[in-house]
Amino acid sequence: MAETHSLQDFQRPAVSSKVFIQRDYSSGTICKFQTKFPSELESRLDKQQFEETIQTLNNLYAEAEKLGGSSYLEGCLACLTAYTVFLCMETHYEKVLKKIDRYIKDQNEKIYAPRGLLLTDPIERGLRVVEITIFEDRNIGSGR
Amino acid sequence: MPGVSSGGGGGGVGTAVSSPPRPFRPSRYVPVSAATTFLVGSTSLFFCFTCPWLSDSVSSVVPIYIAVIFIFTLANFCMATFMDPGIFPRAEEDEDKEDDFRAPLYKTVEIKAIQVRMKWCSTCRFYRPPRCSHCSVCDNCVEDFDHHCPWVNNCIGRRNYRYFFLFLLSLTTHIIDVFSFGLVYVLNHRQQLDTPHAAVTMAVMCVAGLFFVPVAGLTGFHIVLVARGRTTNEQVTGKFRGGVNPFNKGCLKNISHILCRAQAPRYTGRPYMHQKMEVQPPFLRPCLTEAQLEAKILDNGIQNDQHSTRSKSSLDQMESQSADAEAPPPPKPDLRYSGLPPADTEESSLLTEAPPTPSMFKYRPPYSSPGRNHSALSHSNKMIRGESLDSPCPSILKSSRQPSYRSEPSSLDGVTLVGGGVGVRRGGGERGEGSGGPGGAAGGVLGGVSGHSLAGRSYTSYPSSLVLSAAGSRSSSLRSAQIAHNPLATLQSEGTTDTSYKSLANQTPRNGSLSYDSLLTPSESPEFESAAHELSPQKPPGPFPSSAKAGQPKVVSPSSPLKGYTSPFLSAQIAQQREGQLLQGSATFSSPHRAYLRAVSPPPPTSPRPPEAQHLIQYGQDLSSRALRNTSSLSSSPGARLLEPPISPPPRGLSLSKSTAYTGETGSQYKLRPTGGGTMVVGGEVGGGHHAPQSTFRPVLANHTISKPAGGVKKVTGVGGTTYEISV
Repeated sequence: MAETHSLQDFQRPAVSSKVFIQRDYSSGTICKFQTKFPSELESRLDKQQFEETIQTLNNLYAEAEKLGGSSYLEGCLACLTAYTVFLCMETHYEKVLKKIDRYIKDQNEKIYAPRGLLLTDPIERGLRVVEITIFEDRNIGSGR
Repeated sequence: MPGVSSGGGGGGVGTAVSSPPRPFRPSRYVPVSAATTFLVGSTSLFFCFTCPWLSDSVSSVVPIYIAVIFIFTLANFCMATFMDPGIFPRAEEDEDKEDDFRAPLYKTVEIKAIQVRMKWCSTCRFYRPPRCSHCSVCDNCVEDFDHHCPWVNNCIGRRNYRYFFLFLLSLTTHIIDVFSFGLVYVLNHRQQLDTPHAAVTMAVMCVAGLFFVPVAGLTGFHIVLVARGRTTNEQVTGKFRGGVNPFNKGCLKNISHILCRAQAPRYTGRPYMHQKMEVQPPFLRPCLTEAQLEAKILDNGIQNDQHSTRSKSSLDQMESQSADAEAPPPPKPDLRYSGLPPADTEESSLLTEAPPTPSMFKYRPPYSSPGRNHSALSHSNKMIRGESLDSPCPSILKSSRQPSYRSEPSSLDGVTLVGGGVGVRRGGGERGEGSGGPGGAAGGVLGGVSGHSLAGRSYTSYPSSLVLSAAGSRSSSLRSAQIAHNPLATLQSEGTTDTSYKSLANQTPRNGSLSYDSLLTPSESPEFESAAHELSPQKPPGPFPSSAKAGQPKVVSPSSPLKGYTSPFLSAQIAQQREGQLLQGSATFSSPHRAYLRAVSPPPPTSPRPPEAQHLIQYGQDLSSRALRNTSSLSSSPGARLLEPPISPPPRGLSLSKSTAYTGETGSQYKLRPTGGGTMVVGGEVGGGHHAPQSTFRPVLANHTISKPAGGVKKVTGVGGTTYEISV
């Protein structure tokens, strides 16, 4: 099938493999990812950077799911308006998800893309895994 | 409409994979239509006929109150009906590569010190998170699955449970209100019961009274569930009946968790924002020496292998106790490794630690780039699903995979890598199909993957590839079956050493047995295969399955591609015919291969072994040697030279090859040799084919190096009960 490729696409390195960071269910069903450093990234990334990224993501998700005043008020308002408020207003969780999206983009730009890695927002996987795509490092001449 | 679309697949523009569109079933909408009709209709009638009098006689607040309650009920009803309950999008192909057919059915996680099982969902391709369940009506995995409610025609899950619960509460309240105020009206109009207003009021009261009992019962049930922190699914299946519920936070916290928690986001139908990220080499890397990298690769293989081993054994017991009525679990591998040969390398030592069932191993097919190879990979994945072996060294596979292989024909993708590697790596034994030899079938395949990619460079990853090969017979067998469909002509198209291995792997699945000769001499494989064909007609007498002999009553021309079995036994047969030539170095052999073979091959042939058998042993490892032995014992052809007394009856090998050949489905792609040297087809074919075409094999065989069979032989049970003898 005919596809138009931009020059960028052609120059883009091929995907070597993907690493999936699984959820950490030790504290229940709250959204939390394992901070264990996967071995596939050992040659690409520092452990501290990775752990910092995952820890920040965990904190953001904890903030999203927090049973606090804002979520309670939101619920009450929704009840009172017969949930029509959802048509105009963004929920607290969605706001934090946007924040997470910005953070992941930022991390990708600053840390992961220069190392041939790419973080995928876990919301695209149903908050089940954090997908890290490892790109082939052509300069080294071997797919790793 | 989420209520409808939950079964109809994720709507919107999200890239998240959702369930495929479901057929329109009108019967699904009967309960929800009835519920809507009764609710709206009855209340409307009540407002029309009863409320005017109530607002006049009792108070004008009454209709307002009833209206508020009704609107609240309706809003919750609509939210429960149309809101996405928390459907998980289907896992993408590259994610479920990690969890292949050989992966355990259950994974256990510890939640607050309580073991909770996560079951593999074969439809959605992931391990279901805790409290997640697959709804068969909607064909989706739903987070915090409660139940599928026919009255709202939707699953009740994490996102809409609150609305469902409030709907029940408000509906109960509404029914009570309508009934009470209707009763007030009727009691005040006892003498005018024949008026339409009274009649309608009484009818509405009847409907309300009729629905009150089940609705109130359900409401009370859910109040108890919320207080206990359980879902309907957990309550009904009795998950925490005798034990502790790890999700119970205490009554008040449970209630606040349900009612006050932030609205969870939807996973399907999200607007997809394409990540425009520039990822260009050169890439920064942390400081790491080459030796460290390799050590890590080896380390990974060992660790992974052990992990998969552990998990599977513990989960096997639990699987039978599952009360989940979800999609059928992935087919359990029925291959059994029994008595794996004692390790004479570190890989072998890893193998011996493996559990008897191949399912303990997780086969990790090499990840291929999306798009182009996805169909191939998914296909191969499906092929292997039942029996893929866990690759203990996924990193090796990935690292060793070369871009060139990804551009292989889709059918070859996973297979070629695997098979090719196997053939290359394992020389005699591994064809990439579950050879019973030290590589094992899938193991060999896996080894092949890493093998062939690394073959050109060095054997540093040899141990890991051996591990892989040992472990991965099943998956490789599936893959090899896939490969089988590839025309053997692909062999000829492969120019490089590496690609030739893939093509070699491609050959193997077609037949029960792998032709070691073709593996050893990739460039000559076409010749070899034709030689194998030529030999195949000559079958030794005995109960060989017809598969080996079928259709080969005559000599096949050398140029014909291999169609039937190319068994190591056959090559062994040829080998024994060509004693002198066999000993010649294989010119076409790539030196790494030969070195590899030598490394793998057992000690130099023993004196009683005729030289012609030796080279066969080299490729086919013990299996081929067995074939030789079998051939010698079984073959009636004058040309056949019995090298040794038969090790084991060839028929077994033949049957094995038959069963194993060509099949992804059987999953027992142990194309390689069954015990007794009668490597499946090899045994049969050798016997059959050792006559005429011998001359054609000469050049091919001459190139093969001969390896001596090891002194010890280990019996390995393969699929179909065939046992292989692996020389150690």
